[in-house]
Amino acid sequence: MFKVGSKLFLGLSGFASFNLVAYIIFVERLAIGGVALSMVLAALVGLTAIVMLINEGDSESQPRDNALTGASLWPLMTVVGLMLLVLGLVVAQIYFVLGIVVVLAALAEWLVQAWSESASDDPAHNESARQRLLHPIEFPVIATLGLGVVIFSFSRVMLAISKSAGAVVFMVVASLVLLAGSWFALRPALKGALVSAICVVGAVGIVAGGIAGAGVGLRTDLAEAAEEGHYLHRECGVEKSKYFDKKAMKTLSLRSNVTAIIELRNGRLSAVMVGFGEPQQRVTASRANPVTFIFRNFDEAERRMVASLGSAMAAGAAAPETTEGDSHAEKNETCTQLIPQGAEQALTVKYDKPSVAQDAPLTLTVPGVAGQAIEVFVP
Amino acid sequence: MMKSRRLALRALAATGAAAFLGSCATNAPQDTWQPKGPNAKMIDDLQQPVFAVAGIIGIIVAAAVGFAIWRYKDRGQPIPEQTHGKPALEITLTVIPALILAVVGVFTFRVIFDLARTDDTQLVINVTGQQWWWEYDYPVQNEWGITQPIISSGQLVMPVGTKVLLRETSRDVIHSYWIPALNGKRDAVPGRVHTLRLEADAPGIYAGQCTEFCGLSHANMRMEAVALSNEDFAKWVAGQQAAYQPPAEGTLAKEGESVFLNQCVRCHQVEGLKRADGTLAIAAPDENVWSGAAPNLTKLMSRNTFAGAMFNLLRDACRDDVWRADSAEFGAKYLAGVDETCLNVNDLRAWLRNAPEVKPMYANPALLADTNGKYRGMPNLGLSESDIDKLVAYLLTLK
Repeated sequence: MFKVGSKLFLGLSGFASFNLVAYIIFVERLAIGGVALSMVLAALVGLTAIVMLINEGDSESQPRDNALTGASLWPLMTVVGLMLLVLGLVVAQIYFVLGIVVVLAALAEWLVQAWSESASDDPAHNESARQRLLHPIEFPVIATLGLGVVIFSFSRVMLAISKSAGAVVFMVVASLVLLAGSWFALRPALKGALVSAICVVGAVGIVAGGIAGAGVGLRTDLAEAAEEGHYLHRECGVEKSKYFDKKAMKTLSLRSNVTAIIELRNGRLSAVMVGFGEPQQRVTASRANPVTFIFRNFDEAERRMVASLGSAMAAGAAAPETTEGDSHAEKNETCTQLIPQGAEQALTVKYDKPSVAQDAPLTLTVPGVAGQAIEVFVP
Repeated sequence: MMKSRRLALRALAATGAAAFLGSCATNAPQDTWQPKGPNAKMIDDLQQPVFAVAGIIGIIVAAAVGFAIWRYKDRGQPIPEQTHGKPALEITLTVIPALILAVVGVFTFRVIFDLARTDDTQLVINVTGQQWWWEYDYPVQNEWGITQPIISSGQLVMPVGTKVLLRETSRDVIHSYWIPALNGKRDAVPGRVHTLRLEADAPGIYAGQCTEFCGLSHANMRMEAVALSNEDFAKWVAGQQAAYQPPAEGTLAKEGESVFLNQCVRCHQVEGLKRADGTLAIAAPDENVWSGAAPNLTKLMSRNTFAGAMFNLLRDACRDDVWRADSAEFGAKYLAGVDETCLNVNDLRAWLRNAPEVKPMYANPALLADTNGKYRGMPNLGLSESDIDKLVAYLLTLK
């Protein structure tokens, strides 16, 4: 009654039942995970029933020829995947996801291998059947992983060496790849082993370079910028910031449904809001809720808009949130980049504390434009 | 055979009668077929003829199908001649619906664009949804006497015959604002400001409900729009902007103020309320509530509802008195607010005693891991009956 397939599915059903019960007891009863595990269990029970009902596809019980079966790594990989699953439940979600991937891949390989080994009495035919089924999946996956490793390694090299050396290395590597590719294309009679050897040597060279590059670390200017947070650090003054204002965005995809559009025109600042016929000098911003302003610069000089975040922000436990994970909260302000005439940028700000909790009014200002401010009222 | 057919006919008749009688309900405040303002009327004027046309077409199609089933059912007659296609008939049957849809489309687009107008706005109100209540803030608009922002919740108060523009957003998930008698629905989406026009023809209260599933107490996320005459609205604005009046020393309400300062002010703001050291009491819902906000209770007793308009602050008799008042008397009755004789003390005490028991919320302190220890809704504060007495006395002064 119970053969290899039904035992496998029965075991998996038991494992899924255990996981479901453990999830309900230890995690949460009404969570989506419980529903998903229930569905997995239902699917496995269904598959078990089908496998048993059709007697595993055998019209009659056949003695198994052990000579046709070879050694298999997949049971071991399945166990590794299951261990990762369990580990992931305790430690971190990434292990859980990795465990799911490994279990699914190992089970697929295992099932297809087991099926192919009993497909016929000819081991060569069986292997060919396995390859025909799995190679269309295996090759792209392995190629993707391999390319990922090569690209990541190359990126480590480029981040470790200087900018000028990087340009040279890039040109040399690209030329070598082009030359090798052209050679392979022009000489179709080349031996496969030679082509493989050249590709492997190239890939190993890049991976070795990547390991070396990772060992050396980031080049000096990048390391300093990362350490000092230049790319996150918002410098909100009149002057152009070396890092923050680099390649300022000048236009937006978001143009509607914002709290207010702040316009700088002829040295005057005003807030344009849907529903208000005239430009306003005061904006109401919902408390503890991200609000988005668009800043439009119609002045000739390059300008930025600065939002003051208030004194209560610094005193409060929660740091203010901005669109780009700003780490510049200690100044209690955030800002757009410096933008030229006709350009626009969005700025999202969250005010956790109300205006009455502030020492000074919350404002939107433009450095270098004196006497102009939009008051932000936070109820 | 005859018996089962008779039974089926009776069931059909009963269902039809129930549907007919259901449509005659008088107490149906969220009836979409009873518009009470020009925006809702625009929708009604569109949906009435569309419904009629669709209904007539539906009846014709159903009758044709029924006739074909009855007339051509298998009685052993020979199979009729089989033909492929009838271009004239097919073109006719394609063109007629296309024309009908085109005509409906023209009027529909016109209504959509009319409902989206914002250039004729007379009063702006910011509306923020969160699980499971609505916050209303009235930005400064001197022409309406609003010289400082007004914050309220539960009931949206607006002047009658005025083009009011709601600027809607949300603090957590997507909600949808819908007062059927005044306009259609509009989603309130986090990070976006959507607009919705409202205008009421006559003073009164218009009920509504959140119409985008938003979690555990979605069904309890209600709202009411209160339309007042311009004079009454001016009085309401003045009342909302009036300075905080602390309870007299030595009263139960004064003791309630202390309880409020110890417990409630962690989330609920009362403008002007000061601590014993004279500093302003600033609520910190951003530190305790997942959405970052809790209802502002400054003029709580000027409203008729609490807890996301799920409960009435007025006893049934007093509430009926306000709801059923005629236009001339409505404003005065509404502005009278809630006093001790009309307070729905049972529901209010039950709420203060254990809020999650009377309104489903994610407020179990043991199950807040997903929200960084913050509540979604009001938790059980474990107040004693004595503290509840004091709080009720204090809340009655917030008028």
